[in-house]
Amino acid sequence: MTIFTIDEVTKTFTNGEVEEQVLKGINLSLKEGEITALVGASGSGKSTILTIAAGLQRASGGEILFEGKNMADMSQEDIRKIRASEFGFVFQSSHLVPFLTVEEQLLLMLDVSETTMSKRVQKEEVAKTLKLVDMHHRKDAYPASLSGGEKQRVAIARAIIHKPKMLFADEPTASLDSKRSKDVMVLIRELTKTLNITTLMVTHDEEMLVYADHVITMKDGLIL
Amino acid sequence: MNIAWKEISKNKVKFTILGSIIFLVSFLTFIISGLSNGLSQDNAALIKDLPNGQFYMNADANEKYSLSRIDDDVQATLLKEHKDATTMSIQMGFVNDTDDKQYSVAFVTSTDSKLFPTVAPGEIVLDRSLEKDGIKVGDILTNNQFSGEFKVKGFVDQQKYSHAPVAFISMINYQEIYRVLEMQLVFVPGQDTAQDIASLQAFSNKEFLNTIPSYSAEQMSLNMIIWFLVAISGMLFAIFFYMMNVQKIGLYGILKALGVKTSRLFGMMWYQMIVITVIALGLSVALSQGFAMIAPEGMPFSLTLATTIQLSVLFLVIGFVGATLSGLQIKKVEPLQAIQQGEV
Repeated sequence: MTIFTIDEVTKTFTNGEVEEQVLKGINLSLKEGEITALVGASGSGKSTILTIAAGLQRASGGEILFEGKNMADMSQEDIRKIRASEFGFVFQSSHLVPFLTVEEQLLLMLDVSETTMSKRVQKEEVAKTLKLVDMHHRKDAYPASLSGGEKQRVAIARAIIHKPKMLFADEPTASLDSKRSKDVMVLIRELTKTLNITTLMVTHDEEMLVYADHVITMKDGLIL
Repeated sequence: MNIAWKEISKNKVKFTILGSIIFLVSFLTFIISGLSNGLSQDNAALIKDLPNGQFYMNADANEKYSLSRIDDDVQATLLKEHKDATTMSIQMGFVNDTDDKQYSVAFVTSTDSKLFPTVAPGEIVLDRSLEKDGIKVGDILTNNQFSGEFKVKGFVDQQKYSHAPVAFISMINYQEIYRVLEMQLVFVPGQDTAQDIASLQAFSNKEFLNTIPSYSAEQMSLNMIIWFLVAISGMLFAIFFYMMNVQKIGLYGILKALGVKTSRLFGMMWYQMIVITVIALGLSVALSQGFAMIAPEGMPFSLTLATTIQLSVLFLVIGFVGATLSGLQIKKVEPLQAIQQGEV
């Protein structure tokens, strides 16, 4: 079932008097439980479309429909609420909060998503999710003591702890070596399938495309 | 989850440095304020400790009480109209003990009043600071313009004028020493509004204090120092919170991207500001009160609870405003920009 639709989305950046159109009418449909990978050369507009879809920046034109509602018409506060409760993010860098332990990173995300779970259930949920990403043994560790791969696994756990409907991943394996990249992609695929999450991912690593259900290639602001 | 406290407990050194700056500035302000109040008390406790009311002196005395000579009839009328009113005179002078040791004093005389000790001719009541200098009850003191002798009747606490201990004497003895029959001032306690009396000029307690030349100049300088310190503290608060917020722009951006409300980020900043400021103020209040106990003998130092509370509240308000102004950049943080900047 289609949960997310991008319809004729454009994006224009203005630099002084110079206008640059980086997205020239993008159409995309994302289905539940599937991974869609966006690939393309640098400057093709793949990260721009991902961040617009994730509600991190506004489109210049077109519609972004999440569960039938147009995000382009929503207020910043409504988009924030969606980001907090319905979306999960995995970035190129893990972007963990440096003064929180692994367990606290996930508890914070539950807190932000305004969960109705009791404290005890929250802790149980965190433990379960950390086991899913094989990081339960490091639950009391701070980000500074984690390896790159471990940090990214925690970032994935944080992205799914609140059971989002959408997962946005921007180059999630860019800072990892080949083996850890594969481990992370296996994990994202497993979680997408088992939790029925809809994943939109940007990557420049062709080896990672085998884990995607759909691959969309972009060039000069258009889908090929 | 209290992420503001988590950050403080994980970054103790950073927050201790910030707290120590607030502590040092507030401690300095408390000490200067204590010294200022101490000097103020030392200069005019005699007047400052009186209840609110109105002072009257001659209109042609140019606002200098030492030039004032109140006409007997006017004085009698005022005393008759206001049963608590008292007339008084103040003059600087000195007394000698039996070993001919000289002590500077401010001679004060008044009509019968519960505001001042009652002294009979030949008696003298002194500020307690002279007891520490070795004078005892029953001692005999003299003055070269006085034909008789003063017998020390007792001591009173905190009665200073123009940095000299006050010596209460009878009107008859005062008139002999200063060769003057009229009194300088009439004080009507409890009178909020000045009465319009021909030939007299009225002053509230505060206005009267400012007619004492050494008092107004001294207080102006000390108050200027205190207000400069308060202003500098405000700027320091704002600068330090600004620096801290600049360092955390990336973190704020990521938290915003995850869906944290901007108001919660402000709450986080305010919580940290209040925790640091309250701890720093608590320490500086305790230390400044400790300083009051160990201050060298004779050093005028007076830090009242009211002044401490006023300054503490002022520091909290300044901290809040400084932190809020510097935190306005939180509103401007773009999550996308923070994500693109890499690791926080």
